[in-house]
Amino acid sequence: MATVARRAEEAVGGRPLHRRLLSSERGLGYLLLIPTLTLLVVFLAYPFLFGLWLSFSSAELTDLGRFIGLANYRFEFTVDKPFMQALTNTFLYTGVTTVFKLSLGMAMALLLNQVFPFQRFVRAALLLPWIIPTVLSTLAWKWMFDPTFSVVNWAAVHLHLVSFPGPNWFGSTGTALTALMIVNTWRGTPFYAIAFLAGLQTIPVDLYEAARVDGASRWHQFTHITLPMLRPVLLVVLLLSTILTFADFQVPFVLTNGAPFNSTHVLSTYSYLWGVTGGAIGLGASISLVLFPLLAILVAGTLLLIRRPE
Amino acid sequence: MADRPEYFFDFERKDWVPWTRRKFLGAAGVVAAGLAAGPLLEACGGGTAQPAAAPKAAVPTPRSGASIRLLQWVHFVPAADTEFVRQANEFSDKFGVKVAVERITADQLQTRTAAAVEANSGPDIIQMQYGWPHLYTTACEDVTNEVNILKQKLRDVAPVNDAFCKVEGVYRAVPYTIVPNAWTWRTDYFQKAGINEFPKTWDEFTQAATKIKTAGLPPIAQTVGHAYGDSLTMWNPVLWSFGGKEVNADGKTVAINSKETRTAVQWAQNAVKAGFVVHPEWLDPDNNQAYHADRISATLNGASIYIREKVEFKKFDKLSDNSIVPAGPKGLFTMNLIFNHAVMKWSPEKETAKALILYLMDKDNYFKYTTVAGGYNAGPFAGFDNDPVFFGPNADPKMKAFQQVVKPGKWPGWPAPPSKQTAQAQTQYIVADMFAKSLQNNGTGDMESAVKEAESRLKAIFERPS
Repeated sequence: MATVARRAEEAVGGRPLHRRLLSSERGLGYLLLIPTLTLLVVFLAYPFLFGLWLSFSSAELTDLGRFIGLANYRFEFTVDKPFMQALTNTFLYTGVTTVFKLSLGMAMALLLNQVFPFQRFVRAALLLPWIIPTVLSTLAWKWMFDPTFSVVNWAAVHLHLVSFPGPNWFGSTGTALTALMIVNTWRGTPFYAIAFLAGLQTIPVDLYEAARVDGASRWHQFTHITLPMLRPVLLVVLLLSTILTFADFQVPFVLTNGAPFNSTHVLSTYSYLWGVTGGAIGLGASISLVLFPLLAILVAGTLLLIRRPE
Repeated sequence: MADRPEYFFDFERKDWVPWTRRKFLGAAGVVAAGLAAGPLLEACGGGTAQPAAAPKAAVPTPRSGASIRLLQWVHFVPAADTEFVRQANEFSDKFGVKVAVERITADQLQTRTAAAVEANSGPDIIQMQYGWPHLYTTACEDVTNEVNILKQKLRDVAPVNDAFCKVEGVYRAVPYTIVPNAWTWRTDYFQKAGINEFPKTWDEFTQAATKIKTAGLPPIAQTVGHAYGDSLTMWNPVLWSFGGKEVNADGKTVAINSKETRTAVQWAQNAVKAGFVVHPEWLDPDNNQAYHADRISATLNGASIYIREKVEFKKFDKLSDNSIVPAGPKGLFTMNLIFNHAVMKWSPEKETAKALILYLMDKDNYFKYTTVAGGYNAGPFAGFDNDPVFFGPNADPKMKAFQQVVKPGKWPGWPAPPSKQTAQAQTQYIVADMFAKSLQNNGTGDMESAVKEAESRLKAIFERPS
């Protein structure tokens, strides 16, 4: 009798909500998404939207300010001259380092994919630049490029590559930005190499054997097997690295802090200059968000490429 | 009440003592008289002119059981850290207050401060550098009462500390200390070059640079980069001593594009051509390291180079001396690092925080601190002018220069009063960048474009609608 009554109750939807949710696949799915969504909203959506609001406001530290539309962006593009330098530097810094990190990372991954003694040790050691805290390794580089104590210059002078005392790395505009790029490349290459190595190890060996049987050269194997098979990994790594390099703060801040005379500011350090040390957080937010539309297009394009079938 | 004793600061005994009924009635009488006298004086036209003459007499009392967090820089003279903590612990033991001193390097202090201000939470007391009270005004508690108490005992506040601490007539920080900047130089190298004393004017400075270069000795060197201390303390006084300025006294009209500025830059270019070496890449510790490594013969710095040579390294202390900044055609100008203590508005223990600051500023305590620091710091009140570390029987005569540069000190943006805009111009290193750009390629940089760029950047700050 009781069973009949329960069935009748279920038929009219009289079960408690949690039971209905847990027994329905769709309901359970949404339920399980809640923690992730909460994290995304709290740690990503809210800060981003708040930052966006700040960039359209006259906010200063301790004062939320008022809505001023695009005034901050207009100020940056038309009045604040060092901003354009920082923007140019950001593109140069990201572009040049990405090319080097990509090619060096690929070369390292191909080498590490071979069988050789102490293979595992070398692979682990390769990660060192990436796992050492950035500020520590950057400080070490700062010493290495120091005009008074530079080991780089000492070595270059003793190898007769440059005349004494060698370049003043952080003292002139061209070499300062170059030094920043060298450090960023040194630090970022292992990330590429390890990711590519992981991708290389998923490519079936049969493909290479078949290609060799067909008489394909090493170069042809690389362009027709390795690269196409690595494409998803390559695109994801490229995407992540580009975004991280655009936003890099630690290396430029610790090495030069914008000197000499603002020639090495990138958007992140320039945004910090206005927003944190200058207290104009609305303006600082607008500087940091200026690349958002471009990066959004870049992300969307890369994701489309990843999803596109061969 | 027994576990929460109430104290007041007895200036005669230089200590906090418990209230007694007699003391309370006496103090209440003074306060009542003061309150009554205020409107009377005001009515007679004399009540508001001298706030120091009629301070509020409410001495803050520490609350037993309270906890205070104080955020401070890491002193360049390590022993000063120890002495500061010792005094904080002494206060702690005396009044049953927990005091935690948090330290961070001076160049990172602003990041922590800005984060705390934005979060409206953090240490109860923050050490404010330069004009930060003008940047973070609404987060800083009104401490006019405490400054008045100190003025009563220690007399006038040093003008730079006063300008930084007082925002629109209200003290937002308690003057704490001055880190004087003077030239530390190698007497042996100067003598080898035929120079017996440090240059007194910028022209003599150029001649000295020539002689040192000709003799093949390590150069006179200084940063022209983004060093929060040494760069500002070098290039702002150079600009002022030739009559240049970033902005007029009204704090609005940008005035850097002037004949005087060009004269100052021209002098710097000539000095560099003569042998004065400037480093756009140097940050604050770099000239210290170069001096200790025997790579330079003179540099402008706080006393830390000399003190560490004397106390730690003992290599060049006997071959080193310190001298005041050379003067220009418009006189002697200096700039020093200035630190003040702000009680933050979010603190639940404001009274205790204020009491701690007053304790640290007590003359005896302060002299112990400056003595341990070896003269690296100078006091910000007239009452500290006779500091034994500079004038006592055991004072090192070589330290006198650091005391002498305090009085001619000015602040970034001078002659304009400190403001949010002067602080922004300072943190963007506009003056230093102007010199750096002009001094490129051995002093042959494009002065005109450097001055115009400085003007454009200053206008972006001072003419930006708020």
